[in-house]
Amino acid sequence: MDARTRILNRVHRALEGRPKALLPEHPHLPFPEDPIPLFLRRLAENGAEGHLLSPKEAKALLDELAQGLPGVAFGRGVPPSFREGLSELPPEEAPLGVSQALFAVAETGTVALTSADGRKAQLLPPTHLVLVEAEKVYPTLLAAFQELKALPPALGLHSGPSKSADIGQVMVKGVHGPGRLIVAVLT
Amino acid sequence: MRAKARLYPQEAARLLREKPGVRQAVTGATLHFDRNRLKAYAEVPIEEWRNRAKAVKEHVLSHLDQYLELAEKRLRENGVQVHYAEEPEDAHRLLREIVRRHGVKRAVKAKSMLTEELGVNPLLASLGVEVYETDLGEYLIQLLGEPPSHIVGPAIHLSLEGIQKLFHERFGTPLDAAPEALAQVARKVLREAFLTAELGISGANFLVAETGTLALMENEGNIRLSTSLPKVHVAFVGIEKLLPRFQDLALFLPLTARAATGQRLSTFVSLIQGPAQAGEEGPKEVHVVFVDHGRTALLADPEAWETLRCLRCGACLNACPVYRQTGGHPYGYVYSGPIGAVLDPGLLSLEEAYPLPYASTLCGACLEACPVKIPIPKLLLTWRHRAVAEGLSPAWEKAALAAFRKVMESPALYRLFSKALRGLPPPQDLLPLLRAWTEGRGPLKPSPKPFHALWKELKEEDGR
Repeated sequence: MDARTRILNRVHRALEGRPKALLPEHPHLPFPEDPIPLFLRRLAENGAEGHLLSPKEAKALLDELAQGLPGVAFGRGVPPSFREGLSELPPEEAPLGVSQALFAVAETGTVALTSADGRKAQLLPPTHLVLVEAEKVYPTLLAAFQELKALPPALGLHSGPSKSADIGQVMVKGVHGPGRLIVAVLT
Repeated sequence: MRAKARLYPQEAARLLREKPGVRQAVTGATLHFDRNRLKAYAEVPIEEWRNRAKAVKEHVLSHLDQYLELAEKRLRENGVQVHYAEEPEDAHRLLREIVRRHGVKRAVKAKSMLTEELGVNPLLASLGVEVYETDLGEYLIQLLGEPPSHIVGPAIHLSLEGIQKLFHERFGTPLDAAPEALAQVARKVLREAFLTAELGISGANFLVAETGTLALMENEGNIRLSTSLPKVHVAFVGIEKLLPRFQDLALFLPLTARAATGQRLSTFVSLIQGPAQAGEEGPKEVHVVFVDHGRTALLADPEAWETLRCLRCGACLNACPVYRQTGGHPYGYVYSGPIGAVLDPGLLSLEEAYPLPYASTLCGACLEACPVKIPIPKLLLTWRHRAVAEGLSPAWEKAALAAFRKVMESPALYRLFSKALRGLPPPQDLLPLLRAWTEGRGPLKPSPKPFHALWKELKEEDGR
């Protein structure tokens, strides 16, 4: 008998005669607030920056962030119009990463980033600009998960800059991941 | 990890005597966590959240065989290699094989209590693999060669001065370097490790059966990096970590974050389904190792099985007035504080861990804090009853309690002993007889007159 069989047998025996507990339904709560203002507020509370912008304004923001930098690392899903006039660098070297989010969640101030977009640009540069379509901002985590049709190999939920208080309980930003998170909600 | 839980009382007293700074650091950090948790709980209908989370966990545990088989099936469909480990040796065998097959020279590790249980770091070191703990707190204690002191904040027992000294000796930073500067030094060392490691090792906060999703929570980004950059990712998952549905994460992720650190959600959550697709960045091989190591025995326990609901948030540690005095080290095993006191006797054996259920005032703060309402105070008593029934409590304790009872039941004996005790030298001078008790405690000063004498005087005054 292998370890798998032995473990499953022990689990089975342990549960003999144990009452079976029912699985509760997910709650169906109406969400009264417009998600976008809440999303921007929660981002700010998490130490990130959020802006509601037209694609043109978002491109201007990117150009401003990229000014004076040697180059930018782009996620695969970032529209070509955003790349215009900027030189590309591998994420290992780029001081700025730009990603396209799959969706965002207002109540937690979260952007969801897929592995299909490329993980390194989401994690290695010290500054991370995330683009998300306004209609992809869901009020709650549950609402977002209910709409999710297919799952990529990895989904990263980012809700602010990388941080740690492990050194003497002092909050430090940018420990391993980006120390600055900027989200552009595209109208 | 070799357990030393049997030595809890002596180790707790020794720590308080020899490292007085630890108490201050741990109390400060845990009070901070606890205040944040209370604020975060107050913001949502927390009772409803806790009840629902408890019910979901009870459902999974009472159908655990079915969910394990479903999870395994989904994981395999996603291209994940699934393994089972009953004991640390099984995990070691698998790691040895992976290290050999991929020529692993360097491994990056995301903080995981289960890998502490399994002794993953010593095993990898014995194979000549350089292991980097990548959570900043975990990296600090790795440099010091210490085990974690807290489930969520492994280095909360260290003072800033201590860390400045460590980095000064290790990396030549100035003794007054700011936390930001120290973090930058660690970032640089660990970034190099992330970029060159062949193997990434993690635990899991949850594993969703219906989708085969590994869920991992953190604030630094080190878990995302550890599970994204190396070509092989191995995740060790306790069999109790299963959730039925992907949408259950919408409850469990924020609940865990609120309980652990008072956040609405941890800064980073990794939801991993499997290896990278062709042409994508990410690991080419993902392994999930389902670990028993005492969990099926706990599941069979008619009372202690409730500990398997634990989310490892550390909220009960932060709320505990006993844990706050020492941090986790004296508990002598991976899990400390109230949850450790009810989990460790089940995972190890009561014989190994019997002092831990006594490390509590039974104040109930742990139950109030627990996001899945584990009846910790009740279970502490369960283990105490069992310890007495199994004859594990020391003989002197039994004799002392019998004598105490005799004295308390007889007014004449009570008066006699009350007088006699006042005549004795203070207990700390009666060494070595009472040494275990007096170590780490202030001197006892008896009141000049016993209470019954004061009471008698008071009544006489009234009567006058």
